Amino acid sequence: MTNPTSSGRLSMRLGYRFNLVGMSALGIILLWAGIALFAPQIIPHSVGEIVDTDYFGPVSRDLWFGSDYLGRDIFSRILMGARYTLGISLAAVSIACFSGVALGMTAAVAGGWFDSMLSRFLDALNSIPSKLFGLVVVAAVGSSIPALIATLSVIYTPGAYRFARALAVNVNTMDFMVVARIRGERLPYLIASEILPNILGPVLADLGLRFVFIVLLLSGLSFLGLGVQPPYADWGALVRENIGGLPFGAPAVIFPSLAIASLTISVNLLIDNLPSRIRDRSAE
Amino acid sequence: MRGQVSSLVARRLIIALITLVIVSFAVFFATTLLPGDTATILLGQSATPEAVEGLRKAMHLDDPAIIRFLRWIAGLVQGDFGKSYANNVPVATLISGRFVNTMKLAGLTAVIAVPLALTLGITAAMWRGTLYDRIVTVGTIGIISVPEFMIATLAVLLFAVYLKWLPALSLTNEVKSLHDLVRIYAMPVMTLTFGVSAQMIRMTRAAVVETLNTPYVEMALLKGASRPRLVLRHALPNALGPIINAVALSLSYLLGGVIIVETIFNYPGVAKLMVDAVSTRDLPLIQTCAMIFCLGYLALITAADIIAVLSNPRLR
Amino acid sequence: MSDTTNWSCSDDAMIENAIRRGASRRDLLKLMLANGVAMAAAGTIFGRASEAVAATPVKGGALKAAAWSSSTADTLDPAKASLSTDYVRCCSFYNRLTFLDQTGVPQMELAESIESGDAKTWTIKLKKGVSFHNGKELGADDVIFSLKRHLDKATGSKVAAIASQMTDFKAVDKTTVEVTLASPNADLPTILSMHHFMIVADGTTDFSSGNGTGAFKCKQFTPGERSIGVRNPNYFKGGPNVDSFEFFAIPDENARINALLSGDIHLAASINPRSVRLLDGKDGFALSTTTSGTYTDLNIRMDMAPGNVSDFVEGMKYVVNREQIVKSALRGFGVVGNDQPVSPANVYHNAALKPKTFDPDKAKFHFQKAGVLGQTIEVITSEAPGSAIDMAMIIQASAAQIGMKLDMKRVPSDGYWSNYWLKAPIHFGNINPRPTPDILFSLLYKSDAPWNESRFVSEKFDKMLLEARGSLDQAKRREMYNEMQVLVSEQAGTIIPAYISNVDAITAKLKGLQPNPLGGMMGYAFAEYVWLTA
Repeated sequence: MTNPTSSGRLSMRLGYRFNLVGMSALGIILLWAGIALFAPQIIPHSVGEIVDTDYFGPVSRDLWFGSDYLGRDIFSRILMGARYTLGISLAAVSIACFSGVALGMTAAVAGGWFDSMLSRFLDALNSIPSKLFGLVVVAAVGSSIPALIATLSVIYTPGAYRFARALAVNVNTMDFMVVARIRGERLPYLIASEILPNILGPVLADLGLRFVFIVLLLSGLSFLGLGVQPPYADWGALVRENIGGLPFGAPAVIFPSLAIASLTISVNLLIDNLPSRIRDRSAE
Repeated sequence: MRGQVSSLVARRLIIALITLVIVSFAVFFATTLLPGDTATILLGQSATPEAVEGLRKAMHLDDPAIIRFLRWIAGLVQGDFGKSYANNVPVATLISGRFVNTMKLAGLTAVIAVPLALTLGITAAMWRGTLYDRIVTVGTIGIISVPEFMIATLAVLLFAVYLKWLPALSLTNEVKSLHDLVRIYAMPVMTLTFGVSAQMIRMTRAAVVETLNTPYVEMALLKGASRPRLVLRHALPNALGPIINAVALSLSYLLGGVIIVETIFNYPGVAKLMVDAVSTRDLPLIQTCAMIFCLGYLALITAADIIAVLSNPRLR
Repeated sequence: MSDTTNWSCSDDAMIENAIRRGASRRDLLKLMLANGVAMAAAGTIFGRASEAVAATPVKGGALKAAAWSSSTADTLDPAKASLSTDYVRCCSFYNRLTFLDQTGVPQMELAESIESGDAKTWTIKLKKGVSFHNGKELGADDVIFSLKRHLDKATGSKVAAIASQMTDFKAVDKTTVEVTLASPNADLPTILSMHHFMIVADGTTDFSSGNGTGAFKCKQFTPGERSIGVRNPNYFKGGPNVDSFEFFAIPDENARINALLSGDIHLAASINPRSVRLLDGKDGFALSTTTSGTYTDLNIRMDMAPGNVSDFVEGMKYVVNREQIVKSALRGFGVVGNDQPVSPANVYHNAALKPKTFDPDKAKFHFQKAGVLGQTIEVITSEAPGSAIDMAMIIQASAAQIGMKLDMKRVPSDGYWSNYWLKAPIHFGNINPRPTPDILFSLLYKSDAPWNESRFVSEKFDKMLLEARGSLDQAKRREMYNEMQVLVSEQAGTIIPAYISNVDAITAKLKGLQPNPLGGMMGYAFAEYVWLTA
């Protein structure tokens, strides 16, 4: 069965459809980014204000997404939450994946002692329970958004490193790497021009997943006292604080969950649909 | 080749030992950085200076922390995990039952999640771009986007409260038959499977797709190999390294990261023990738990590294 | 225990109940104190007669109940007990000398009588023929050992401060103990009903076997996991109704209720008021509500800025919207508080002292006078003290209305009590019910009190406290406590917006549960009283 579409890049028709999926994913991400930027101007109610005497109230003309466990407007809280979820997660995932992947490729190419030492160090880092780690950070530097981003990055760097290194080690044994080495290319060139293009697909997929994990862990660390301070809340925290409404099917727990899902699915679909283009280029 | 693997294992064992020592010290310093000690935490609101002083003396906590830590290490070398500060019970007694529980849960989850995830990941890559692929992708991301506590709570609401098929709590002491075992483990295993499969599915798919684009696979394609054969014989062996690493990383989560599942299903495992130990600053217990997590992690990634080396002839 | 009521109620009925209970208690106390302070069996005459509905207990069944917190620090050492989980376990394995009945009156448990002529030297006569689970007979030595160990710092007792007034113990004979206090205290029988004063066997050092005189023998106890007790056939009160009692904690709120709904447990302790809607209109479930004087308070230290300016404190008292806190944060399961610790569930509550109403204008006036308007003031809040986060949100929103910026800083609940409570300039606290105003005031408001949350200093108050403690004149005592409540309410920096009700959810199969002023789950002692119907 030698269907030309099997390589996933020969068919224009399929390529177009991918782009459509990718475009809509990008559209949703940009929409959330816009909301994050202009949230303070567009929220109908103040984030902390109790506007409903009832709790877990239904969707209504005034409260578009219902009310939360205290009777606050969930719509406004989600719009403001976009700032924290989007901002912090993007920052943390960028730092974690950039450092993890850069170190992973370097370790794979350099090998030897550097590889061993770095791998052990990051293994050790990964073995410290994240709760203990979070508490230590609060105790040491106090609570702030930069501290939260730093903590999330540190927690997710070892995983990104390990995965990137595993990929890079395989590429490192390829013939073109041997050739490049013989040519006398230096380390930065090797990792940037030879390794990276060949592992980009899986690395980006890994980044997409790490983004999801960070979005979810963010609220957990906030509850430890690290990061977003009430009355503001990220989306994960909104789900968490309104989880009591789940048996009632309260909009207060459903809408933040949908917000998370829309963002994380969009990020991953976008990533899935990017590589075909990038790969097309790199193969030519 | 066998000699090569055994020398690799031997080298890894020594390295693992060194890593353990590093982790042990790191955890120790982290713990001492936290405000308060076992005496102040146990006394809580009643922690007046005299009361704390008295209790510290009674619990032998008045020695410097580093001395206590080194004493613990010395005991560990002789196979003694020490006694918990919080309740004066030997750590080995506290942990043994829970460790078995954690291993059972992790084992059952792994047995279900790994084949499931690999099958889904590989088939999605095989039929890349089809509706099937997209359903798997969106479904996977959709499921991990739902916080674990929500999946667990939804499962309980559905299967225990409304349908009344399964018990809401996983009380391990009530397992008397295979039927009980299935009833008790069904929901925790399902929740965890959702959580850990996603990473494996996505990474498997990505790694296989990546190798499908390499010249030698295209060569095989031109030679007229069928799609399943292409994936299973040509692409998969080369993608095995990253895949096995993703599996190892996902499974390592099952040891120490399952706190939410343990809490919601009231399942006594090691993760909850560790959280308790941190909040009571119970140094011997924290250390022992950290050692267990670290050992589990190292075992998994060492296995992953060895398989990766074996799978790639050029790395041998 | 044949006179127990089959009890369930909604929040309206609860308030009504409290008032009724209060009234009967007052009469009882008068009667009791007419005879000096001899309290032997006083309550049995009046205590439960009023609202009893005939219901015959059924024997048998395995009772399963879940509380909300448990850890490896769980203990069967009553002196160290710190969580409701510990209290429940201690109540099932041990007994106290006295206990409080549902009207708040001390009843004799292991004691036959507790008497004193001067409130300073007390004679405790023990019941005869009571034995520990290991067969040892209960004697004076056990009582002296059990009480005395609180004075030893190495014990780590939670009530060391209260126990320190007991200065001398003497075994008069095998079943009589004489306890001498440092200064007269008419409340001793009530103090001895606190859960930490459980009686253990003389010389016990290892408490893990739960060797007490209680209704259940300890079959299994794993800290942080569960305890299982089996019926004690030789129980001196005539055995519990159920065959066995399994107790553990499900910290996750939803999981606890779901376990009840699915039939895995019979009682889910301390559920969130918002979950009540889940049980509403569902057959087969009931609520048991207790307003026992638990409160979450906002503490403004008056020895440092900004609380050292009295106008700031005054402003804060007006900016706290108590009605809304009860309505939104507690969903009606609470009673509006008036900034003093003696709750309406207590006999000495000063009902004439009205709570401050929410008044933004007055608040603004005081803030302006204090010169803090426009500044940002940091308030420490955390998950640790009860409903502090929700209260903080409500107070912050009200303050924002008049341009007062409160920066609510959420800190980890881990280590909250040792790092922030009593230390931060403005922070939240959480106080569990104490049976007497004397304990509350000595612990929380005396100038040198260990937990003086707002650093309240008043010579007049200290003098009255001592005087009231030793006074046997009931009318005078009440008058003094009334005045002290006014002093605290007006001058201290502790804002007590509400007394919080505890709501336990139970299956309708569980009968015999009654509210108790010592706390939820029938003052934590429900296991020996309740029974299960088929």
